[in-house]
Amino acid sequence: MKTRFESIAEYIKKHVKADDYNLHISAMNQHETRFAQNAITQHIAGENININLEVAFENKTGRCSINQTDETALANLIKTAEEMAILNQPDPEYVESPKAQTYPEVQNKMKNTLELKPEQMVEIIRKSIANGEKQGATVSGMTEKHQVDVLFSTKNGFQGFYDLTDFGHSMTMKKDHIETKVSFESKDYGTFDLDKEIECLNSQFDALKTTQPFDACKIPVIIRPAALMEFYMFMMWMMNRRQADEGMTAFTDQLGKKFLGEKFSLMSTLSMPELVTLPFSRDSIVSEETYWIRNGVVETMPTPRYWAKMKNLKPASPFNIFIPGGNATEEEMMKMVPRGLIVNRFWYIRPVDMKAGELTGMTRDGVLYFEDGKVKHAVNNLRFNEVPHDTTRRILALGESVLTDSSVKLPTVLVDGFNFVDKTTF
Amino acid sequence: MKYLDIAMEAAKSLGADYADIRIQKSTTQTIYLHNLSLKNTSTDSNEGYGIRVFKDGAWGFAHSNVFNADQVAATVKRAMDIALLSGKAKKGNGLTLAAERSYIATYRTPVQCDPFQIPLKEKVDLMMEVNRMMMNYEGIRQAVFYLLMHKDEKLFASTLGTRLDITTQFINPMITATAVMDGDSQSRTFDEGGRATGWEWISQLDLSEKAKQIAEEAIIKVKADTLKEEQRRTLILDPNHLGLTMHESVGHPTELDRVLGWEADYAGISFATPEKLGNYKYGSDIVNFVGDNTLSEGLATAGFDDDGVPNQRWYIIKNGILNEYGSTRDTAPQIGLVHSRGCSRATSYYNQPINRIPNLYLLPGEKQLTPGQLIADTDDGVYIQGRGSFSIDQHRVNFQFGGDFFWEIKNGKLHRPLKKVLYKSCNPEFWNSCDAICDERFWRPFGVVNCGKGQPNQTGRMTHGAAPARFRNIRVGGSQ
Ligand SMILES: [Zn+2]
Repeated sequence: MKTRFESIAEYIKKHVKADDYNLHISAMNQHETRFAQNAITQHIAGENININLEVAFENKTGRCSINQTDETALANLIKTAEEMAILNQPDPEYVESPKAQTYPEVQNKMKNTLELKPEQMVEIIRKSIANGEKQGATVSGMTEKHQVDVLFSTKNGFQGFYDLTDFGHSMTMKKDHIETKVSFESKDYGTFDLDKEIECLNSQFDALKTTQPFDACKIPVIIRPAALMEFYMFMMWMMNRRQADEGMTAFTDQLGKKFLGEKFSLMSTLSMPELVTLPFSRDSIVSEETYWIRNGVVETMPTPRYWAKMKNLKPASPFNIFIPGGNATEEEMMKMVPRGLIVNRFWYIRPVDMKAGELTGMTRDGVLYFEDGKVKHAVNNLRFNEVPHDTTRRILALGESVLTDSSVKLPTVLVDGFNFVDKTTF
Repeated sequence: MKYLDIAMEAAKSLGADYADIRIQKSTTQTIYLHNLSLKNTSTDSNEGYGIRVFKDGAWGFAHSNVFNADQVAATVKRAMDIALLSGKAKKGNGLTLAAERSYIATYRTPVQCDPFQIPLKEKVDLMMEVNRMMMNYEGIRQAVFYLLMHKDEKLFASTLGTRLDITTQFINPMITATAVMDGDSQSRTFDEGGRATGWEWISQLDLSEKAKQIAEEAIIKVKADTLKEEQRRTLILDPNHLGLTMHESVGHPTELDRVLGWEADYAGISFATPEKLGNYKYGSDIVNFVGDNTLSEGLATAGFDDDGVPNQRWYIIKNGILNEYGSTRDTAPQIGLVHSRGCSRATSYYNQPINRIPNLYLLPGEKQLTPGQLIADTDDGVYIQGRGSFSIDQHRVNFQFGGDFFWEIKNGKLHRPLKKVLYKSCNPEFWNSCDAICDERFWRPFGVVNCGKGQPNQTGRMTHGAAPARFRNIRVGGSQ
């Protein structure tokens, strides 16, 4: 694929008349099998390519993308992008394309994933369904495999390539009022253990057998990694440097200050081989070991290239997410507070107030109530209105960080006084 | 086109029980202007074909962007192989498809002036003028104009003998002004959610006037008071706001695939289960929801869906009672329906079609009632305009909504502007609390162009509509 991409890049280089350009080519090979209610409902396979060219005449830009690779299509791609640029108004915030840079070597393409056959994927689903049927439950989910290749090339001499693989399997098991989910996603199918996933699903399922109604209140909560991922992802999104500098978010004037809790750090890291680590971002910011937040201090904020140039800063972009954990187990966390809840997942999180950094969302896939260090029963799902950066100041303990998504590694955390505001009927 | 025939013949010779091919070219033009900086001016297109094969009660779907006879035949074979594999994990005899006849038809979104043909300069000049107008206001820190134009050109053939030639398109201008003042930041947006029409709509909108209005309202909003404690209050919701409310609390729960649990692992399921059909009091007697893929300028209006089923109009909620769902050929038979309602849609050629919300709207009230009369008839309440924060549980019961602009109503008058207002409610409480709907003169359509659903995620679009309506006794308060 790399050679094929390079020949497209050569053609573009030879034929572009514009003063500057950024070329981004990506190809994906997908196999996705969705199952629901103990049967496959959708099953998709195919390959696609996207060739995206941005050109500039001085600071007038135009962009075009296509998914055809013959010379006529490429010639048309250049023509469309250049015509748009010529007809366009100047962009005062235009930043010239990056020069040649060295970028970290990463290994995101895994043999075990590449070799996985559709027949094996269906077998994984059959076993997952069989487990559900054994308990009179329905299982729904998705088993997927992707291979992605990316090339980035600019007029000013940056040329970079990476490839990656991805395997995922999720299972939602439902019977009457019980509904719970596990999901696995990694670049390496070789690290997937279906029996372990099923065991985890079954234990979550068993824990939800007795449910009692529970009213919303402020209460300590043990947030499991899949829930935490959703929650802090939104905070990361609200950390943009430009928006902070322009006064639009809670992070305004907080750089270098202890704005978050002492126990909380958040990084993008090159040092964890199990994580998918992109060597450079979509706008060609080279990945470097970065603490966004270190022990509660805001150390770096994602900074787009224009803002970096304008404010004389270094551009920065998150390329994976790692929250360093601790060594507390859930059993130990339950003993640290008189009572509390355990949340498997959150759902439908949305910002309520950008300036305050406040979010709303629901729990999903099982909430447990504990008291005196022990799980007592399951409870109905709840709605929260919370401010994620504020919750980091209320972290009482962290568990070990685990792979939560192919590019995300997070711990379970115990947060005091989590603000639940409403409940639902199930 | 010869590939339609090649695919259909290949599917038949391989023994498919049913097959279809959808050759689709999607073109999107985007202009994104942020504080007078053209962040993105692009034309994106992708073209290819998706082939579905149905064999022994199971689906296989394969796609390709390579146009030649061998590749088309190979893609049919791949879809067949996948269908056979899918058959290894089916329930009983697997799925069945609702009966349908064949059609030979053409559909074009009626467009007087194709936005793709308008010179780029004309579009950018207009956007710049509007953007500058907003930036001129003291206190406006961010002004955004996002213009989206999209076209889908499809050729569809099925083994039933259907041959369709469909071109649909829509346009969506969106303008946002953000005011930063006194330690707070608040936005106001003009966004009608897109319409299946041409540039003529943009010409009618008077966007410069709209820009002034939203810039001024963003400044009013940033200085506005907040509601403190949550209380039971009366709400009056404008049609734009109701568009999203109905999308989330009526549209999604009445998609038959969700009802059947097909989205259990991701988007979620539905409380509106089949035993509730014909007896469940979803709303008050004046609440009537219609699914209508024949709606003029509707984003889901396309002549036919991606199952080759013609567009239809039907009651989803009638006189407050749950009446029917939006269905597809593979979901309808699961609850004993003979025919599909034609809600099967895919976003791009490489997506397998899924059960989508149709154009769905709340019928206007039958008695003459203006928004002014509705406000005058309300002692104490909040009037919400536009869309804001929204979140709903995965069974579509409990929800919390914000809005884009708020007025407190006191003694039948707009008393003071507010910000950070949230309301919490649930199904069926919410639609049962509806006690007044303005009449048809005030009914307005509002589109949704970014309805995320499915895995891999697809972006669906449909039009909603309503006249301003009143809801009693809803929990309304301020954010933290
Ligand atoms: Zn939606």
